[in-house]
Amino acid sequence: MPSATAPLATPRAPVIEADHVCKAFVSGKLRTPVLNGLSLSIDPGELTLISGPSGCGKSTLLAILSGLQKVDSGRVRALGSELGQLDLRALEHFRLQHTGFVFQGFNLFPALTALEQVELPLNHMGLSKQEARERARRSLEEVGLSHRIKLRPSELSGGEKQRVAIARALAKEPELLFADEPTSALDAANGQVIIDILHTIAHTHGTTVLCVSHDPRLVAHSDRVLAMEDGRILSDRRHGADAPKEPTP
Amino acid sequence: MVALARKTLVYEWRRFLPAMLAVGFAGLLQLLQLALVLGIFGATSVYITGSSADVWVGFPGTQSVGSGRSIDANVESRVLMDPAVTRVEPYVWVDGDWRGAGETGGMSVFVSGIDPAADGLMFSKVLPPALRERLAEPDAVIVDRADLDKLGVALDQTATINGHRVRVVGISHGLRGLGGINVIASLDTARRLDNDAADNGPTYLVAKLRDPQQAETVAARLRGSSEFGPYTTWSAADFAHISVLYWLFDTGAGAGVLFLAGIVFLVGAVITSQTLVGAVQGSVREYATLNALGVGVGALRKVVLEQAFWVGALGLFGASVLGVLLLLLARSQDVPVVLGPLAAFACIALVMGQAAVSGVAAMRSMRRIDPATLLR
Ligand SMILES: Nc1ncnc2c1ncn2[C@@H]1O[C@H](COP(=O)(O)OP(=O)(O)O)[C@@H](O)[C@H]1O
Ligand SMILES: [Mg+2]
Repeated sequence: MPSATAPLATPRAPVIEADHVCKAFVSGKLRTPVLNGLSLSIDPGELTLISGPSGCGKSTLLAILSGLQKVDSGRVRALGSELGQLDLRALEHFRLQHTGFVFQGFNLFPALTALEQVELPLNHMGLSKQEARERARRSLEEVGLSHRIKLRPSELSGGEKQRVAIARALAKEPELLFADEPTSALDAANGQVIIDILHTIAHTHGTTVLCVSHDPRLVAHSDRVLAMEDGRILSDRRHGADAPKEPTP
Repeated sequence: MVALARKTLVYEWRRFLPAMLAVGFAGLLQLLQLALVLGIFGATSVYITGSSADVWVGFPGTQSVGSGRSIDANVESRVLMDPAVTRVEPYVWVDGDWRGAGETGGMSVFVSGIDPAADGLMFSKVLPPALRERLAEPDAVIVDRADLDKLGVALDQTATINGHRVRVVGISHGLRGLGGINVIASLDTARRLDNDAADNGPTYLVAKLRDPQQAETVAARLRGSSEFGPYTTWSAADFAHISVLYWLFDTGAGAGVLFLAGIVFLVGAVITSQTLVGAVQGSVREYATLNALGVGVGALRKVVLEQAFWVGALGLFGASVLGVLLLLLARSQDVPVVLGPLAAFACIALVMGQAAVSGVAAMRSMRRIDPATLLR
């Protein structure tokens, strides 16, 4: 894992690079282009926000960068791996070792307690029972739920459920954490808590957090904001920097 | 390891209940059907299994005990000459027409003429010595408890068979027949009841051996002589087997049983797999999330298979409890039911096989799990 809280000024190799990525969806005879030769690079240890209007292709981009979806053309490198060259099993293994996900829906198993939700993926990573439980406990503590670990989803509020989902991703200690509209199902206060947690994760664990949202509240808390429209990056702004950088060609 | 399959099963038991009931009832049906068929068709060989003879001698080509023809009485001396044989006795089968004291009309009965001696071989396991002794009296007959109503008689009452008067001197238990009613008489009485002039010898000769293990060998040795006209021999086990199979397949009951077993299996499997598919659909987003986090599809499939296993095991448990109660009830009502360890094992295998088939069928629905659909 990258070392924690390195100063942003230090130039480091990007952890994710997309190069002229094209993606279109075909339904029947209709072909809808979503991404048109998009290129970008994501730096490590930051909270990067991809913002833009609904339907502009943010989620599609996230799915491609995280190895959940294949590109039509172009290349994606993540942590030195060429994602296009990995088969289904290799992609699963890559995700198991390196990635965490937080979705708009919380997607928790109704039958499991918060602790078990977090433990479950760890069991599949080859951790011992004790270690899995210990890590799950720590993660839940980190998102402020140590007093809720015995509760099932039906006994948790929306904000708490999303925090369990974050703990589930965080406990894997991933290099890459992907979040798709993590706040849009939540009210303002709960959304704020989630934003703060994601920001803290990037800065204390050195995790690269890539977040997709149309929620303007997130902008102020991100290290870097990529504005997207119609399948292209319109602007690339670093927190504190006034002038928008031109997007990489 | 978090036991996702079991925890979901417990938490969402209402969802899985129909599958457990389907598996349980399918198992119960299979069990009762098998026990009933074995019981009913086992009754066709009660003449053999209820007796202590090791070797049977009868007319060649006989398919079941009830379809024998008379053989030469002199075969008896030939059988007795074999050093392995300790006792031989004749067994006479007479088809009779029973008329009870009341207005019950004619009933078809199978009269078994046996040696009423205390150490007689025929029905030695069904008739206690005190009961069979009473047959020595002329025109005495024994009928089964289960047939009393049909025959319209009670103990010590009289009736007629083939026009000859007989008196019920005893009530047996476990001699209920198939296709007709069993009536036991002495050899002398049975011969008197026989109106068929063509019958001039016993229908069978049954022999006891010094060593019952030798039944096959001795039966083979006694065969193949035509000195006394046509006859053949079987070991008791073989003859019982032939008799049951004849009834199972010549009556079409065997095919019916297999057909019904297939239908029950299929219906149970469809309900179970649909329930499991429903459970998968209900958690498809959660499964997809696990897959996004890198948990392989194979591991997710195992969850479904494990659920199928538990549904099968719980259904089986329910079926066993109910099945034992129903079998006991059936026994107490003289319904012929038989369930040996082999048949019980077959039922268990059938139920678990059904659960496995359902699980595999339900696993196909997991192809819809695609983590990319979580990103919208
Ligand atoms: N699986 C799909 N099949 C067809 N069209 C899709 C699919 N997924 C997304 N799209 C289309 O692609 C466009 C971008 O979708 P998406 O990436 O989800 O946008 P955003 O997340 O920015 O709202 C939309 O017009 C959407 O209708
Ligand atoms: Mg979206």
